[in-house]
Amino acid sequence: MTTTRALDPYADILGVDLPASRVKENVEAFARIAAEIRKLRSLDLTAVHPPIVFDATLVYRRPKAQDP
Amino acid sequence: MSDPLWARSIDTLAPDIRDGKLSAVRVIETALERIDALDGRINAFICRAPDPLGAARAADRDISAGKWRGPLHGLPVAIKDNYFTADMPTTAGTSAAGIEFPRRDSACVAKLRAAGAIPIGKTRTHEFAWGNVTPPTRNPWDLDRVPSGSSGGSGAAVAARLCVAGTGSDTGGSIRMPAAVCGTVGFKPTFGRVSREGIVPHTWSLDHAGPLTRCVADAAHMLNVLAGYDAADPGSRDEPVPDYTQALSQSVKDVRIGICRRHFFEGNQEDVEHAVERAVDDLAAQGARIVEFDMPLLEYGLGAVFAIELASSTAYHDVSLREHRTQEFQPDVRSLVEIGRFVTGADYLKAEQYRWLLMEAFRDVFASVDIVLTPTMPLTAWKVGEWTVPVGGREESVLSASWRFTYPFNLTGLPAISVPCGFDRGHLPIGLQLAGKPFDELTVLRVAHAYEREHDWHLRVPAVASAESSARSA
Repeated sequence: MTTTRALDPYADILGVDLPASRVKENVEAFARIAAEIRKLRSLDLTAVHPPIVFDATLVYRRPKAQDP
Repeated sequence: MSDPLWARSIDTLAPDIRDGKLSAVRVIETALERIDALDGRINAFICRAPDPLGAARAADRDISAGKWRGPLHGLPVAIKDNYFTADMPTTAGTSAAGIEFPRRDSACVAKLRAAGAIPIGKTRTHEFAWGNVTPPTRNPWDLDRVPSGSSGGSGAAVAARLCVAGTGSDTGGSIRMPAAVCGTVGFKPTFGRVSREGIVPHTWSLDHAGPLTRCVADAAHMLNVLAGYDAADPGSRDEPVPDYTQALSQSVKDVRIGICRRHFFEGNQEDVEHAVERAVDDLAAQGARIVEFDMPLLEYGLGAVFAIELASSTAYHDVSLREHRTQEFQPDVRSLVEIGRFVTGADYLKAEQYRWLLMEAFRDVFASVDIVLTPTMPLTAWKVGEWTVPVGGREESVLSASWRFTYPFNLTGLPAISVPCGFDRGHLPIGLQLAGKPFDELTVLRVAHAYEREHDWHLRVPAVASAESSARSA
């Protein structure tokens, strides 16, 4: 029988590979920003297309990247 | 009596250099002497160019041979330390091990060199252009205070007259905020107007490149060189580039100036509010028409810009994060890069959806106005180490207060300039922000110059900068 380990919400879902004490500090630092993002989440934007528009031809029109 | 050499702008130096009345060598020597004398206290520069005098001698030879390349030829410019340069290392403000950048010129630096400008050194940025401070750079108007950031090195260098102009990058206000608190002009052109190729990315869809200068005319001269399409920058737009100096000395009669009391005139320091209200009156007295408008949507902007910045910056630094190099970042930058993981994909896209609505809202406003006028910041320069400041009668975190008037124009990509508009009761500069329609930098410069020429704010020099020259000439 296969058992599945419960996912860690930070490490497995958010990819936060940090000691617990550091995660706690970051969560505290994020609190004020999270409040602003919660306001954003409250908007109903169902009908709004974001300004990011996929363009299948862009890669053919751009030179190759030189550096990161 | 004419102004001393160090006090003169591009606009006044260029004709003398072109006509052989002044040598580039003398101008560069003056800049180097001032950096030697002053930068130990200001800390605007992280490194100096290896041979600016050699470049100046070459410029003088070319000009003597009739090969004057334009108003920047032979003049000293400072380069923010997140622009790649062939002759100086780029650090983007980090000392973390294992992070290196190419030794080649970014598109902007290549254009400046082609125009004959002489990069004199690299100016400090807060690490990876994050943040609203630029340690260890100090504000020339009060060395106990910050020059804001992240282009604080360029702001301080221009304010102290260590160079004629500097370059900056602006993701949420990082050109305009240092300009405001250092008493210089800072111009963030339309997204796509100036190539970001060879500038270390912060947030791909919010990053803008632009100049910091002593006056509006010099911003026009710099933009004449920097503007233009570059296929190597995915955000670059192939739009016609006018001669920006044609915006200068035009009337603002019947120009429609939009004022949004919500957001932009709420919770400002009293002296900031008064200075900006006086600027509105001054422009109205010149014939501009003041049009009030409202934009309730601005209330949601901070969450959107945070979501986009944090997610983008964390994506850019993903390898550093996984390899634990972020432990060597500055504490505030490390936190910001690490907490970007908490922004979900849905948050990011919702922020982009919001952005569309904000763009539509400004498009609708610009149907009835030509310019939107706001304070650049709600506050003046704060003390080094302060994280909360009194703004609008209450203590507010610098993190949320400092950029709240500037980031809407990063979310919308609209051109926006900061020009000096007075001083507070502590003798600290105040900035006036003017924003325009996409690719209408001409109108922004036109109104900025009309305001500037009625005042002498941009001619005032910090005591530390003028005292040094008095001591030297005594």
